[in-house]
Amino acid sequence: METLKNALDFSDFPRLDLTLAAAVAIFLMVFPFFPHSSFAMSTLIQFLMFSLYGMGWNTIGGYGGQVDLGKAQYLGIGAYTTAVMLLRWDTPFWISMPIGVMLSVTWSFIIGYPLFKLKGHYFAIATIATSLVLKDLFEVWDLVGGSRGIEILAGKYQTPDFLHLIFKGDDTYYYVILLFFFTGILFMNAFRKSRLGFQLRSIKDNEDIARSLGINVHWAKIKTYAIATAFVSAVGSFHACYVKNIEPEDTMSLDISILIALMAMLGGAGSLWGPIIGAAVLVPLKSYLKEWLGAQAGMVGIDLILYGAIIMIISAAEPRGIWGMVDKARRRKRS
Amino acid sequence: MEILAGSLSAGLLIGMVFALVALGLTIIFGVMDIVNFAHGEFLMLGMYTALLTAQATGVDPLLTIPFAGLVGFLLGVICYLGFVKYLIRGPMVAQLLGTFGLMLVLRNLALFLFGSEDRTIHEGLLVGQSFDLGMGIILPATKLAAAFLSVISFTAVWLLINRTRIGKALMATALNAQGARYMGIPTERMNAFAWGIGGATVTMAGALLVNFWSVTPYVGLLFTMIAFAIVALGGFGSIPGAFFAGLIVGLITELPGIWDFIAEMTGFDWMASVPMTSFKYTWVYLAYFLIMLIRPRGLFGWKH
Repeated sequence: METLKNALDFSDFPRLDLTLAAAVAIFLMVFPFFPHSSFAMSTLIQFLMFSLYGMGWNTIGGYGGQVDLGKAQYLGIGAYTTAVMLLRWDTPFWISMPIGVMLSVTWSFIIGYPLFKLKGHYFAIATIATSLVLKDLFEVWDLVGGSRGIEILAGKYQTPDFLHLIFKGDDTYYYVILLFFFTGILFMNAFRKSRLGFQLRSIKDNEDIARSLGINVHWAKIKTYAIATAFVSAVGSFHACYVKNIEPEDTMSLDISILIALMAMLGGAGSLWGPIIGAAVLVPLKSYLKEWLGAQAGMVGIDLILYGAIIMIISAAEPRGIWGMVDKARRRKRS
Repeated sequence: MEILAGSLSAGLLIGMVFALVALGLTIIFGVMDIVNFAHGEFLMLGMYTALLTAQATGVDPLLTIPFAGLVGFLLGVICYLGFVKYLIRGPMVAQLLGTFGLMLVLRNLALFLFGSEDRTIHEGLLVGQSFDLGMGIILPATKLAAAFLSVISFTAVWLLINRTRIGKALMATALNAQGARYMGIPTERMNAFAWGIGGATVTMAGALLVNFWSVTPYVGLLFTMIAFAIVALGGFGSIPGAFFAGLIVGLITELPGIWDFIAEMTGFDWMASVPMTSFKYTWVYLAYFLIMLIRPRGLFGWKH
């Protein structure tokens, strides 16, 4: 009950933030009713998915300060669980998604226990290593289709199929992921005020002091890692139903892991709105750059050069992200 | 027996080149605690430099090493002064992502300039020749020369760092930057120098590697991960560590051959059916993970 109250209580934000957030929420809810291109629609769905990944990363990476660059492996586990169960046993999405989450969380406990003995760079690179090992494994595993991946044939299902989450247009997918998105925000709002949330922030500030206060640092990190994993895995399951064609290369590659961390960092790690802002900037930027420049002959790679340059500038000039800038401006105004 | 001897010799030869790849990463990490994701992209640029210079001027690819080293040195210094200098003031996550951005830029710049097709060197003094030592040990001349030159470059860098004044200044910066600054060592310039040396060694490794490894703009990531594994195994910041770890990792990449040998010796059929070659590099990642858990400072590490 207390948790639910916390989740719905946004009163510690300034009124300006809440007004803006409400405006964005209303915009997102009514967006499909306005005329739009299908490209804009799919960009928006990507935005919602990546803000959810970012929110997941933000628990361990933002509040906890543990730079995790292996989130894509859980996206893969979630996506593959749903796809394989759908193809083999015709399992509804709403059953295979929790199973995927459970598998991911189990795996996260298995590797999280040793991983969190490491710190800093060592931890970051070790998360990459585990993710790449899993990707290599999936590339030769016949059950999941090897490197060619799995394809879900939508034609077999009577659309709209809410049980298996197979729809014809993007609009229904949009509302499903929007529901996930709002649930995610409420969860994060409760998380940041929870006991674990406070423990993590104290771990980020100073691990030794946190330990001296009686916090079980190792266990707190593992628990949070599992929460982050659950987020990514659930959206990974959605990814499988939405994209319908999953391969190890585009669900589990290092680029995805980095992108997830990047969203959260760009927006401002360790704040509620950070990952959403980051995704809102980065996802459209990436897909529109690709749309404008990627397709032109003789311009291969230009979009990613620009994209990489933007990442470089941000991380050198304002490492605390957009939210960090807003925060700084506000503090200056107050003093 | 022949499979085993062949695998071991191939592993040791490639290991020497891997060691040179990792040398730059370990120097940079040792001096300033920053992990460079773009390391493999430096290597890729070294490969292209050697390949294109050789094709343009007609000299043997092996002779382009000094030029590749020069290009790498400049690249490293430019990257430091123009970018990394600002990056190191931020938190760790910004450093990781910033060098990732650098990696994207370099990779796609190569894609833009050189195209995405595989390129290999077809002509040269040593291409296609090999020495057969019997016992299944066949040493391709290019690999042998690459390993030999790699050891020479490695020794040169080791001497530069351990036997010269500037090398001592570099070590002082690595051990205690503030103390070094009080002693009048220009630490900022030393950092730039470390990046220069790091860039030079890795592009030289690229120039050696291109003799028997085809180059695409995407070749970098694999080598970045291999270099991470070597540096972790040898100990972050340790130069002899990088060398021995390079040899070990070279042997690890030849595990499929050793596996075949065991399968043949023991006669277990199930062993032969495991697709070991698909996991060639998986073992490297796994080795990294295990080393970090068992001995986080690596074999020769002094800094962690």
